[in-house]
Amino acid sequence: MTIKRLLGLPARALWHALFWTFDRATWQYDLMVIAILAFIWLTPPDWIGDPTASGPGLIGILLERLR
Amino acid sequence: MTFTGAIGTACMFPLRAIIRACVTLRIHPNVLTLIGVIINFLAAWQFSLGQFVPAGLIMLVANIFDFIDGKVAEETNQASRFGGFWDSVMDRFSDLSLFIGVMYLYSQLGRTDYVMVAAFAMMFSVMTSYTRARAESMINKCKVGFMERPERIVLVMIGAFTNRMGAVLWIILVLSVITVLDRIYFTWQALKAQEADTA
Repeated sequence: MTIKRLLGLPARALWHALFWTFDRATWQYDLMVIAILAFIWLTPPDWIGDPTASGPGLIGILLERLR
Repeated sequence: MTFTGAIGTACMFPLRAIIRACVTLRIHPNVLTLIGVIINFLAAWQFSLGQFVPAGLIMLVANIFDFIDGKVAEETNQASRFGGFWDSVMDRFSDLSLFIGVMYLYSQLGRTDYVMVAAFAMMFSVMTSYTRARAESMINKCKVGFMERPERIVLVMIGAFTNRMGAVLWIILVLSVITVLDRIYFTWQALKAQEADTA
């Protein structure tokens, strides 16, 4: 794979993620679902000011442990 | 098999039994659609009270009705163009009621910021459906963009069951905006190609 192609890969991935044409139950769909669930469950609710959520979330717990 | 495909296959087992029961009981698919909407209104009411887990459970029941109506129509040869129209209209009532329930809750909590997040998520959810419907009156198919109704419904249920509604609303908002833009771009390209063909 050439450097030009390697540099183009993230840009192509971003384009395909934004201009979504994949069907359900494909590996691309699975990847998107994992990314969404990671955002929902890992992001500390305080970061986005969630009015009802409780608990620090996984990233919050890890950050507290590292301190 | 992908993991989302495996989840879909696993969910089909109980649903097939429910579909068979509805076919045996000769329940009209349009009635199933209506029952689904009424149950969704109850879910919206639970959201407005901040009762997320009950709301999620009620949504689960409501969406079983929403899912099976089309299958029952096919199996009983009662599929009709009006049925498709009725289903789409009722879907919009279901979607909007859930957002209104969440918006009411946030307004009661004095969180105008999240009332606006929910309001914009609601606006772009409606526009996601509208852009496709309008596009498909001019072009053959406009099935682009990630955030369609099934994704929205599953996300709201995940938000309800795991108490992460804020993050879910942000995801729905951002991906619905992108989906609407995808559909506008796709339709523009398709119409341009059509015009080039006819010229």
